[in-house]
Amino acid sequence: MPAVLVIAAQDDWPTDRVVKALTDGGAEVFRMDTAQFPQELSLAGRIDARRGWSGGLTTAHRAVDLADISAVYYRAPNPFDLPAMSEPERRFAAAQARAGLGGIITALDCRWMSHPAAMSRAEYKPLQLATARTAGLTVPATLITNNPAAVRTFVGEVGGRVVCKPVATPVFIEGDQLKTVYTRRLSAADLADLRGIDTTAHLFQAWVDKAHEVRLTAVGERLFAAEVHAAGSAGHIDWRSDYASLTYQATTVPDATAEGVRRYLRRLDLRFAAFDFVVTPDGTWTFLEANPCGQWDWIEHATGLPLAQAIADELQGAS
Amino acid sequence: MQALISHPREAFPVAPGHGRIPHSSAPPSGEETRPWVLRFARVPDAAQAIVRPPAVYDNELQMSRGLYDGPLPYMQTHTPTVPDGSPTNPPPLDEGPKD
Repeated sequence: MPAVLVIAAQDDWPTDRVVKALTDGGAEVFRMDTAQFPQELSLAGRIDARRGWSGGLTTAHRAVDLADISAVYYRAPNPFDLPAMSEPERRFAAAQARAGLGGIITALDCRWMSHPAAMSRAEYKPLQLATARTAGLTVPATLITNNPAAVRTFVGEVGGRVVCKPVATPVFIEGDQLKTVYTRRLSAADLADLRGIDTTAHLFQAWVDKAHEVRLTAVGERLFAAEVHAAGSAGHIDWRSDYASLTYQATTVPDATAEGVRRYLRRLDLRFAAFDFVVTPDGTWTFLEANPCGQWDWIEHATGLPLAQAIADELQGAS
Repeated sequence: MQALISHPREAFPVAPGHGRIPHSSAPPSGEETRPWVLRFARVPDAAQAIVRPPAVYDNELQMSRGLYDGPLPYMQTHTPTVPDGSPTNPPPLDEGPKD
């Protein structure tokens, strides 16, 4: 019987919704976290001239034949939980697990949401911007540099209206404190001292006047868009910084933007992505970024957009 | 077209073995050596963090269930990533496959 393989952390509750939608629809589901391998999940995959990868993924509670997997939902699983061993052995074993278990899973010729290799590649903001531009979406002028002089030139070219944001993950811990870096609209005082620019890559972007933002969740060919309205000034610059000030409303996507989004997905081989757009006062949609593993659950709750069901439908080829 | 892969980690990303966000007691270094953008780093607003109800994973349901009667845990919260600033309580799954 065809089965949907779900690979996610066990405490990823939005994935619970997808599992529920799948099982309610009669689908066979095998859910696993890579942290279960090798101690709670066993693998016996084989291939020969007669047939492709087959054999079992087995836990104490259920089993699935690799040959029966018709779709995979991949969502940020945890590291392998290896038994006690030395550190060199651990590194060796983790690499074997990645190449063995991960290698077989990523070799499955089935429906993916999305293939992890495609997701990894699509995480890079520079690739996102380049892909969006060639897909016909409007992108803001952007500079990535470790050169203070280049920053000053760019700021001058965009009339001083500029933001900075991390190129990669914004969250880190130092001094025993968890910290994050939200998008910041830069002042002249901020730009007066650029010591530290040369320590790594920094991203600067022209500020785009906004009426509101849009979180567009793409699931296969289906697009679900929600306006994000921020009541406070912090949320107006970066809505992640002030969720309490936000209100949401389902909206429609302009045809040209929808076509650009679908081209973007095809070029990066994605079946899911969470796009962030700025909508200017004149109605132009400007692409900011698209996360291949973005969060979607709170948008469904706030707007009623049926995202979990759409994901389940896509995994079953029913969308 | 499938992406070209330069490293096997990129083909099958999992969370880092040392935790999604490595812990450190080290303080900021100095203005000459600290990445410039980090001067805008801040501890997130703990007031906006939402406590998730206690739950355990049910291997039969293949989803979490609560410790007490009531709706399933996933039906009780719809929280986007809102870190509360505690290094012992890092934010839930952030976006991206992460490795």
